Amino acid sequence: MNVENRRRLRVGVDTGGTFTDFVILDESSGEIDVFKVPSTRSNQSDAIVSGLANYLAGIDELADAVVFFCHGTTVGTNAILEGSGARTGLVITDGFRGVYEVGEQARGQGSVIYDLFFEKPRQLVSPRYTEEVLERITATGEELIALDEDSAKRAIEHLVRHGAESVAVALLFSFKNPQHEQRIKEIFSELAPWIDVSVSSDIAPEIREYYRMSTTVVNAYLNPLLSRYINRLDVKLREIGVTSDQRYIIRSNGGVASFSSAAARSVQTILSGPAAGVVTAQHVAALGGIENLVTFDMGGTSTDVALIRQGEPVRRMGGKVHSLDVLVPMLDIHTVAAGGGTIAWVDDMGVLQVGPRSAGSEPGPACYGRGGVEPTVTDANLVLGVLSGSHPLAGGALKLDLELAKNSILEKVASPLGISVLEAARGIIEIVNVKMQEAIKVVSSNRGYDLRDFYLFAFGGAGPLHGCQIAEEMGMKGVIIPPYPGVTSALGLLLSDIRHDFVHSDLVDLSTLAPSGMKSIFDSLKSKGTELLQSEGFNMGQCHFELAMDLRYGGQGYELTVGLPELPVTSDDLASLRTRFDQAHLQYTGHFAPDEKVEVVNYRLAAIASVPSAPISVSVSQSGMVDQAEIGRAEIYVGRKWENVPVYQRSRLPVNGRIEGPALILQNDSTTYLTSGQTAVMNDRGYLILEMSH
Amino acid sequence: MAVDPITSQVIQNRLSGIVQEMQNNIFRTGYSTIVRESQDASCMILDSEGEVVGEHVILPLHIAALPEVVKAIKKVYSGRIFPGDAFITNHPYVSGVTHSIDMAVVIPVFIGDALIAYCASIAHKSDLGGMVPGTGSGNARELFQEGIQYPPVKFMDQGKVVEEVEAILRANSRTPDVIMGDIRGQVGTGRLGEERLKEVVSRYGLEVVLETFSDLQLKVERRVRSVIASWNDGTFEAETWVDNDGIQLDVPIKYHVRIEKSGERILFDFSESAPQTLGPLNVRPPLVRGCCYYAMVAMIDPELPNNGGLARVIETKFRHGSVLDPIYPAPTNTYMASATAVTEAVLQAMNGLVPEKKIAGMGGVGGMVIGGKRKDGSSYVQYELIGAAYGARNGKDGVSGVSVLLDNAKTAPIEVLETEFPVRLRRFELITDSGGAGQYRGGLAVRREYEILTSKAQLTLRGGKHTEPAFGVDGGMPGRLGACIINPDSEGSRDLPSRFGGEELKEGDVLRIEKAGGGGLGPLSERAWEKLLGDVLDGYVSFQSAQSDYGADPEKLKSAIAAWNGEE
Repeated sequence: MNVENRRRLRVGVDTGGTFTDFVILDESSGEIDVFKVPSTRSNQSDAIVSGLANYLAGIDELADAVVFFCHGTTVGTNAILEGSGARTGLVITDGFRGVYEVGEQARGQGSVIYDLFFEKPRQLVSPRYTEEVLERITATGEELIALDEDSAKRAIEHLVRHGAESVAVALLFSFKNPQHEQRIKEIFSELAPWIDVSVSSDIAPEIREYYRMSTTVVNAYLNPLLSRYINRLDVKLREIGVTSDQRYIIRSNGGVASFSSAAARSVQTILSGPAAGVVTAQHVAALGGIENLVTFDMGGTSTDVALIRQGEPVRRMGGKVHSLDVLVPMLDIHTVAAGGGTIAWVDDMGVLQVGPRSAGSEPGPACYGRGGVEPTVTDANLVLGVLSGSHPLAGGALKLDLELAKNSILEKVASPLGISVLEAARGIIEIVNVKMQEAIKVVSSNRGYDLRDFYLFAFGGAGPLHGCQIAEEMGMKGVIIPPYPGVTSALGLLLSDIRHDFVHSDLVDLSTLAPSGMKSIFDSLKSKGTELLQSEGFNMGQCHFELAMDLRYGGQGYELTVGLPELPVTSDDLASLRTRFDQAHLQYTGHFAPDEKVEVVNYRLAAIASVPSAPISVSVSQSGMVDQAEIGRAEIYVGRKWENVPVYQRSRLPVNGRIEGPALILQNDSTTYLTSGQTAVMNDRGYLILEMSH
Repeated sequence: MAVDPITSQVIQNRLSGIVQEMQNNIFRTGYSTIVRESQDASCMILDSEGEVVGEHVILPLHIAALPEVVKAIKKVYSGRIFPGDAFITNHPYVSGVTHSIDMAVVIPVFIGDALIAYCASIAHKSDLGGMVPGTGSGNARELFQEGIQYPPVKFMDQGKVVEEVEAILRANSRTPDVIMGDIRGQVGTGRLGEERLKEVVSRYGLEVVLETFSDLQLKVERRVRSVIASWNDGTFEAETWVDNDGIQLDVPIKYHVRIEKSGERILFDFSESAPQTLGPLNVRPPLVRGCCYYAMVAMIDPELPNNGGLARVIETKFRHGSVLDPIYPAPTNTYMASATAVTEAVLQAMNGLVPEKKIAGMGGVGGMVIGGKRKDGSSYVQYELIGAAYGARNGKDGVSGVSVLLDNAKTAPIEVLETEFPVRLRRFELITDSGGAGQYRGGLAVRREYEILTSKAQLTLRGGKHTEPAFGVDGGMPGRLGACIINPDSEGSRDLPSRFGGEELKEGDVLRIEKAGGGGLGPLSERAWEKLLGDVLDGYVSFQSAQSDYGADPEKLKSAIAAWNGEE
């Protein structure tokens, strides 16, 4: 094989519950290959490595052609859901066991308040694995009680004796003064170097002890597992001959990190999967000159939505993930339990409900014929004719049975409500669409954004089926449907920059702040970022930094993050910071108070190294007629009557081909449903674009 | 005209979306620690009659208060309600507000000339005047000592702020900027709801929306009546006690309920409850009805919408002049202890109707306020709602360190408290052996210990269960009592009652608050060995208690502990 003609392959692998999705980009030709293999539950890396090896064999290529490998994993999420993390210990300030055991104290919102039989979210560390050490730092960071090293040693001995594999250390005010925590970490490395130690002043150095502690505990709980997983994957990739050091894991913030960085901060990977889809949307938007998008990833059990504004996805600095509190920067992804497999039922009051339960992939919707008897959103779509038994799902793997769908809707919904099967199916879709609209509002209009300025980026297996209708009803600007809706998340893995977030917490009055003081804090964050990126092999020419501050009005308990220009910070920057905070507050809350005192809570810095951009398009035929793409007609039930609509094969649509709705557009991994009056245009990179006029 | 079931459900989803959006908005835009961090605020949509049609539960009693508020506004302002108005009131008697430190803000929603609904919220304020910082004094003997009373008044008149009202509000608060910030946030939230509701009307049509309002209530009413009909007929009684009213410390207060259930009707008769109290323990009937709604939803289905349809079914009877139907101007600011006790009595009586949902008594609820001046002379109000514990439930231990029943406050972060206020925490922990023993153990209570770092501060406590413990059920033991001790373990140590106001604290004083534990359920001898051992290893039950209360064999226990410690 001629060296000059060797392929340079970028590999993105997104592991899901049922399938592992691969997107492989040949840098030299710009061509993309997409395929799925069944996931391996016992060790996700098996499917990844064998899938990759088989693919390479199939194209007669050696593994050293892989120049870049990026992975979205659910190992962390699964460990939390299954309770299979490490045996974890916790070291705290003497007298403060209540911080972790009480947690938030409140029970959440909604029906749980009435539920006399509720339980708190499971704690990852039990009290018998919680050890107190004598020490105390004050609110100003001074040492009130020196660290009693004997008590620390006793704590460590206790945890070692009881077989802790991993330990979280979270002391009061350690974000102000980390010395005691760091010293305890040192003692661990002297006495028990095999224990994985997570320290709160490293993992989440922010004010509010419970949230910092909970984050550190989650990190400790996942770290051993994730490091083992990543190590094994690393070794196996080498075994099959992948030599490139460019190996990454995507994290909740939408950035990627080297294998070793990801393994050390496992808490940052728990929203790995959904983040990648948002990254894809961001890049598509940038290429197409579209600044404002709502991403809409509708799968089998849930739908993830997120907002991209002026080309940047909205982030949040913490939140609940699987009911655990974590203080790590993440893309602000809102999830609603509404997907193709979501079950419709009639409650005790005779009211049609859709969700939150899902038939999942096993047994799946009734129409899958795998023993499911409860009607789902997919069954309703089949009855209405927008899905068809003759156009199977998931690349031909699934045949849909209309009779089973009809029967389940008749029995569970139509009969109890005394309406026809068709009306029941229409109702199921209408209700699930409303739920998804409410989810979209949560990330957009609830935060003061006007949906008329936003496109819907519809992907996931079911996104294109519901997206056009939803965008129309919400008065959005348009819809974008990417070439491979089903593997859009995996595509994002090839596009994500390396991103490390750093934070420094210090509650002070903004007006007392001098540029020099800010500069020294940001400089110290920047040198941490530089060090980490250099250790990952990046030269500083590839890197840049994003600065931001969390600000609030005096005494408020809620902060807004306001961006800053590059260093150095000047006094003009400080003045404009104040104004921009007022404006951000007005945007977000509807009011502002320019005369009130403003406080700084956190300093934030993201250290970013860019990956070389990849062309993300598919070849579209330059000539041909839309008519030639029409492969049949379908009867669909819309507006309480049957309508005969054309069915197109997406791969045959030519550049600039215009499709008028109502119409169905089929492809292996998804079906797009255009409603009456909508027009979709195929662009030259293979994206279907709908512009809406209102 | 009947709305089809699908459209009706779609509109219900829209209403619930609007209320959640309002709720997010009020937490997001609140200024005070109470609204933002403790989330002591609720939003609702009510129909033109003042019945709830859209709610998202934050604090269940707020749901009972707002219909009374709207009815009071309608009465006072009949014919003078206009688009752009915003009403405020905090009056427990005239408007049925929970207590006068809570402020209700109500926005009428008009379509054309027709007033079709109200978007309302109710939120705790940091200070509205009164005897002590934070307004609610445990020593209050009449309403007038519990802050300034605002009957329904217009804060905004057709889109313009009524400057006189704002001036009065500001002049009567120790923290004028904070309360005005919160009130503005509430008005903004109401306007948001108004705008969203109008969008729904323009989309689905006014008639359809109004029809859905009544449809939603009718469905709940029918469901509740049919569930009631499925229960056995009969009379069921229960009583619970609160330590005292904060004034007469040796007089426990009785809460009594007799439930008469017949067919699809249910009557809650509270007439045998204690006379009204001198101190501020009194609670007004609308809120007692709210306690009944709470218990009914808990017993029927936690997902049941708590709307006007449920309210229609509940029949209640009170004795005027009792603690549950006090005569104006009896004080009410520490009503939460009473409301919790009433709810527990109702739940206990309902054990006879729904025996599979038994629950033992709860640890005490209530707030704590420390107010005074920092060393730099600035004044501050530190308000906290410290969680308690759930009683044991059928088949489950109680939950430890949690807000109970009607209360749902978050804990205040220590690092925020110490940064903002002259105070240092010394301890924050669950109290060993505080959960009532039983086959199912009561939840453990919380201990918090503070050191005062300023020369002058006042303490107000609205606690409970310092003398009347959380009851056990079916052979389970009561929970540990609560306590409030100044300078514990020292010569000058003093025990304070569960409710008082204005206790002077000086620099260096140590304040220890211990909440009460939950009651146990079922015979102690039935406690599973693994659970008992687990409790001992986790420090929830002491070795001593495992032995003397539960009757564990000390040798077996010792060897099990040794085995855990690897010392076999």
